Amino acid sequence: MEVVDQEGRTLTFSIGPQHPGSGHFRLIVKVDGDFIVDVKPDPGYVHRGAEKMCEERTYIQNIPHLERPVIFDSSGILFPYVLAVEELLGVQAPPRAQYIRIIMAELNRIISHLYWLAIYGIFLGHSTMFMWPMGDRELFIDLAEAIGGTRVTFSYFVPGGVRNDLPPGFKERALKTFSYYEKRLEEYDKIFFSNPMFLKRTQGIGVLKREDAIRLGVTGPNLRASGISSDTRKDEPYSSYETIKWDIPVRKEGDCYARSMVRFQELFDSLNIMRQALDLIPEGSVKIPMRGQIKGKVGESFARTEAARGTMFYHIISDGATHPYRVKISVPSFRSLSAMPFLLKGNHLADMPAIYWGLDYWPVEADK
Amino acid sequence: MSQSIEKEELLLSSIKDKFGDKVRELYVNPKRIKILVDRENILNVATFVRDLGFDQVISVGGTDFPKEDSFVVDYHLIGVEHEDLKKIIFDLSTKFPKNEPKTPTLMEVWPSAEYHEQETFEMLGIIFEGHPRMERLLLPEDWNDIPPLRKEFKLPSRLVEHGSS
Amino acid sequence: MDTFEEFLKRVITIAFWLLLLGPVIVLPIILLVLPQFGVPVEVANRFLIALINPLGMLQFIDSLGLGPSSLFFKIAAFPGFTFAALFATLVILYERKLLAKMQNRVGPLYAGRFEGILQPIAELFKLIFKELLTPEKADKPFFWAVPFLAIAVGGAFLALIPLSPEIYIAKSEIGLVIIFAILSFTPLIVLTAGWASANKFSFIGGLRALHQLVSYEIPLILSTIGVVMLSGSLDLMKIVQAQASMWFILPQFIGAAVFFVTMLAELERIPFDLPEADSELVAGWYTEYSGMHFGALQLANYIKLYGFSVLFTLLFLGGWNGPAILPPLAWLFMKLFIVISFILVIRGTNTRIRIDQLIKLGWVYLIPLAFANIFIALAVASLGIV
Repeated sequence: MEVVDQEGRTLTFSIGPQHPGSGHFRLIVKVDGDFIVDVKPDPGYVHRGAEKMCEERTYIQNIPHLERPVIFDSSGILFPYVLAVEELLGVQAPPRAQYIRIIMAELNRIISHLYWLAIYGIFLGHSTMFMWPMGDRELFIDLAEAIGGTRVTFSYFVPGGVRNDLPPGFKERALKTFSYYEKRLEEYDKIFFSNPMFLKRTQGIGVLKREDAIRLGVTGPNLRASGISSDTRKDEPYSSYETIKWDIPVRKEGDCYARSMVRFQELFDSLNIMRQALDLIPEGSVKIPMRGQIKGKVGESFARTEAARGTMFYHIISDGATHPYRVKISVPSFRSLSAMPFLLKGNHLADMPAIYWGLDYWPVEADK
Repeated sequence: MSQSIEKEELLLSSIKDKFGDKVRELYVNPKRIKILVDRENILNVATFVRDLGFDQVISVGGTDFPKEDSFVVDYHLIGVEHEDLKKIIFDLSTKFPKNEPKTPTLMEVWPSAEYHEQETFEMLGIIFEGHPRMERLLLPEDWNDIPPLRKEFKLPSRLVEHGSS
Repeated sequence: MDTFEEFLKRVITIAFWLLLLGPVIVLPIILLVLPQFGVPVEVANRFLIALINPLGMLQFIDSLGLGPSSLFFKIAAFPGFTFAALFATLVILYERKLLAKMQNRVGPLYAGRFEGILQPIAELFKLIFKELLTPEKADKPFFWAVPFLAIAVGGAFLALIPLSPEIYIAKSEIGLVIIFAILSFTPLIVLTAGWASANKFSFIGGLRALHQLVSYEIPLILSTIGVVMLSGSLDLMKIVQAQASMWFILPQFIGAAVFFVTMLAELERIPFDLPEADSELVAGWYTEYSGMHFGALQLANYIKLYGFSVLFTLLFLGGWNGPAILPPLAWLFMKLFIVISFILVIRGTNTRIRIDQLIKLGWVYLIPLAFANIFIALAVASLGIV
């Protein structure tokens, strides 16, 4: 669609940082009538310098503050950090810890996706779809709390394993929750994902074609919705993901509908993965005992995992001290930043919420 | 680890055949390749690496090495469309002296590097020549200090000596 | 912090003491002072007697022309504005409780002893005590006029809607036409609000509302033509009388459906609440209104909701017609309850539609359907079914 920017016809909006539809983030939007002609994202309102903070704290001290940017997916952002540190230390988590990590990461994926779904519902004006996932999220928060001790920021993954073992009776409790929740997901489908109004608002809106998705560098569910089967859990299996069988949900359309359906499908997949992990989990210790301050060998390590929003990547450089020399974090939300203006331009202003939140851009995560 | 690194070696040799001494191999591990090139050649090497199939930038990270008086910029690449390449992280790095913090932008090669380069500019003061927006991104609008990820920038609350071991 | 009940208790206590002390202190003063200025003692006496004797009070009010049978009472109290406003607060409470039940919540629970029944009243008090903010660059006279105009249009709308053969405010041979004439003021008010607020979000919201209301007025009027043809009158009383044997929703099903959809659009409710789409336009043309201004706009909207629901009942569901075991008003309100529940359930289960889709729906589907409905009415009338 061609939209010509005519002088004097446009109106510039500053959507955010105080706007019900933006979060801690600003979009400077120029509209001509109802069409968006120009978009400039302005992130940084919640930048807290996580990378600099990492350089001045020990490897263990880094764990709690690294979770803060993505509290809904706190295990997701911590997972590659502990993997990278373990590579520097030359250790590997015991098998039981690896499966517990899978369970925790998938629980966090569900918590994050449900938060996304709730906000997507209310962005499109569907108040019931705001309340249901927000309420059902509590089930998984309760499960994660039983493992990690707190509701959102668990600080549960540590280099060399996990902090503590699963609580007794966790498997039965979790399986009960999963089977209940699968029934709820069918209701979600009936009221929201199959709703003709929802289809009208999302199908064919904000189409990100396969080559554009690669060119602009989007990741995770956004990339999979554009027809590319890319999932770090399959591409570079870590933490015993290779023993678990599931199919990556891929859709060809690349529109908002595809992006939401990929995430919806991932809710089922996560339940499936956790069931398998609970079956496969061996007995044994959950942590390699370490004494004193841990020091990485001189060198560097990369690690990437599949967090809820996409590939989470860490590049840690160590000079042999108790502190990392440099920690580079690449978060998935930051990578959808360049796709956002591309998708919004030429669309209706009314499609802004659908496209913006359809990318699952989490400003706090992007700002780090 | 006993994983084979044949594919990685193969990729590296194809780059070396093309560019010879201009490319220095830093290491090849399973699923990891890191090479170092000068900034004069980085555009050519990057174009070649892209044509090999590495089509996405995961991250662009810069590091300050005051002892060597230099900056290192790493481009972490994967090839999401390629069955083999999406399993490998390719690190294309370049090194240049600190008093001349300039390197050509790779936005023409990988448009996905856009915001990562802008962030690196802001955090380390490295100028990516040819990038359309070398301006503030994440820091406060009234930031009036040296770029924070340089090692000279110390957090007042924590003063830590590195390399003491 | 006080609970809301304690607050109410205090207000009532103060009112009680004022009413008690007033006659004891104020009346003797009046009786002593007024004759000095030549006011006859009888008038003051009548007022005093009225205060002591409730029946006398009624007579006194009647003599002023304000009694229950007077026009003033009808407009101000029942079935006019006060009743509609109270009904609107009930609808707000019902909406919140119903949506809460749909969404696995409890909804308002604490204000009032039973299920948060006083919550709308508590919120009304909250809004009254809030500061009225006017944007610096706003067009102030117009900005301030909008809440009053909105309430006025809502009230005028109510004046023409009868609730039973006896309970009505104004009776007119062409009631339906006047109702549509009054409703056509709404786009003007909305545009004024959007323009006078000097806010981009308000402005876009106002323009959207203008598009929406103007395009949906046509199918709204067209969808009622079938009813008018079948009943042969524009008078709502006669339309209801014509439905004694059969409700018009049966021969006029398409008309009723079109009317219902356009009604949702005219009320700016989900799925047609684009003028106040909060995720992109903050609150649309409401954005700059605060405190009781906002309360007045909301009240006007809910009064309109009440008015439209009654209108739907009268036009298609046979109004107050029903077996004589219950009074006509009871039948009307039972039907009203069903209509309002439908509106609320749609709010709970749908997403917001986009403006171009909305306009397309209006012009491409609803208007042809309304025309088709007219021909159906013609066929039904000529076959003599009704």
